[in-house]
Amino acid sequence: MSVAVTEDSLVQDGRLGRLVIARLKPNEDLIDSAEALCKEHGIALAVVRGGVGSLIDGQLSYLGREGMIQIHVPGPGVEILSVSGEILSGASRLQAVVADADGKLYAGRLERGKNLTFITVELTLQEWLPD
Amino acid sequence: MTPHFAERAGVRTFIHEGPSLAPRLLDLEVPSCEELRIVLPLASNVAAGVLKALEGRRYGSAVGRILCGGAAHLSYHRMIVTDQPERPYDYGQPVVLDGYITFISGAITVGRDARGAPLLHCHAGFLDRNGEQHGGHLVLDKLIVGSEPLTIRLCLFDQVAYQVQPDAETHFNLLHPVLKELS
Repeated sequence: MSVAVTEDSLVQDGRLGRLVIARLKPNEDLIDSAEALCKEHGIALAVVRGGVGSLIDGQLSYLGREGMIQIHVPGPGVEILSVSGEILSGASRLQAVVADADGKLYAGRLERGKNLTFITVELTLQEWLPD
Repeated sequence: MTPHFAERAGVRTFIHEGPSLAPRLLDLEVPSCEELRIVLPLASNVAAGVLKALEGRRYGSAVGRILCGGAAHLSYHRMIVTDQPERPYDYGQPVVLDGYITFISGAITVGRDARGAPLLHCHAGFLDRNGEQHGGHLVLDKLIVGSEPLTIRLCLFDQVAYQVQPDAETHFNLLHPVLKELS
């Protein structure tokens, strides 16, 4: 597939700054919580440095030929195996690999408001400071 | 209260047996971290290797990822239903794998137990020699590196730690961010 480039790349110099070390209690959404933590600490842009825990159910998505395709991972006890991505208020993009109670793996983009903590989530964010 | 499911904005929630107390996000801030890359050799025990790499370093806790590698032996747990009302879901008996195991992804928190000793919390996904997928709560002191070295990246921070505390809501002992006195 070939697509014409219509914009310049954004290249930022910068460094990583403060860390926010958090625990999410049950029924808290991963993306909403990450954005709330950044807001509370005055962080405009952050990266996920650590994420271990479990979800009640998982809701992931990916871009298919006909738009975003949803992947529902039934729980409870969907284990978060890794989370990556950037936190930017209202526009966060986080990806995760999770496992269901049978140990089956799923991967995709985390859907806002639909990935709620089951027992706990240890979430660590780090500020990105552009020069 | 009997644990049960409820719904919020079309999404399933879970009401645990214990009290649901505010705040719902517990968080602390530190100014920076120290980065560490650990490459564990074949046949080594991962918990022992990680703890040895951390020995003598000044840190409260650490978080990181399993970047790549393989295992010759491992043990992991999945969530099961119990008949205990205070803890209706818990980890089941270990699933033990031997042979050629390839890591797909993994996350590690190096926390502290109640006495301040390091405590490893790891979730990971991997493929066995038949290509079957597995993922869950990985026991690092039962994990033996195999086939190729195992690379782990950690971000160490001080003044704050993830420390185990009992959680009245879920009845699990869980890692909580706590302030540590400067050593």
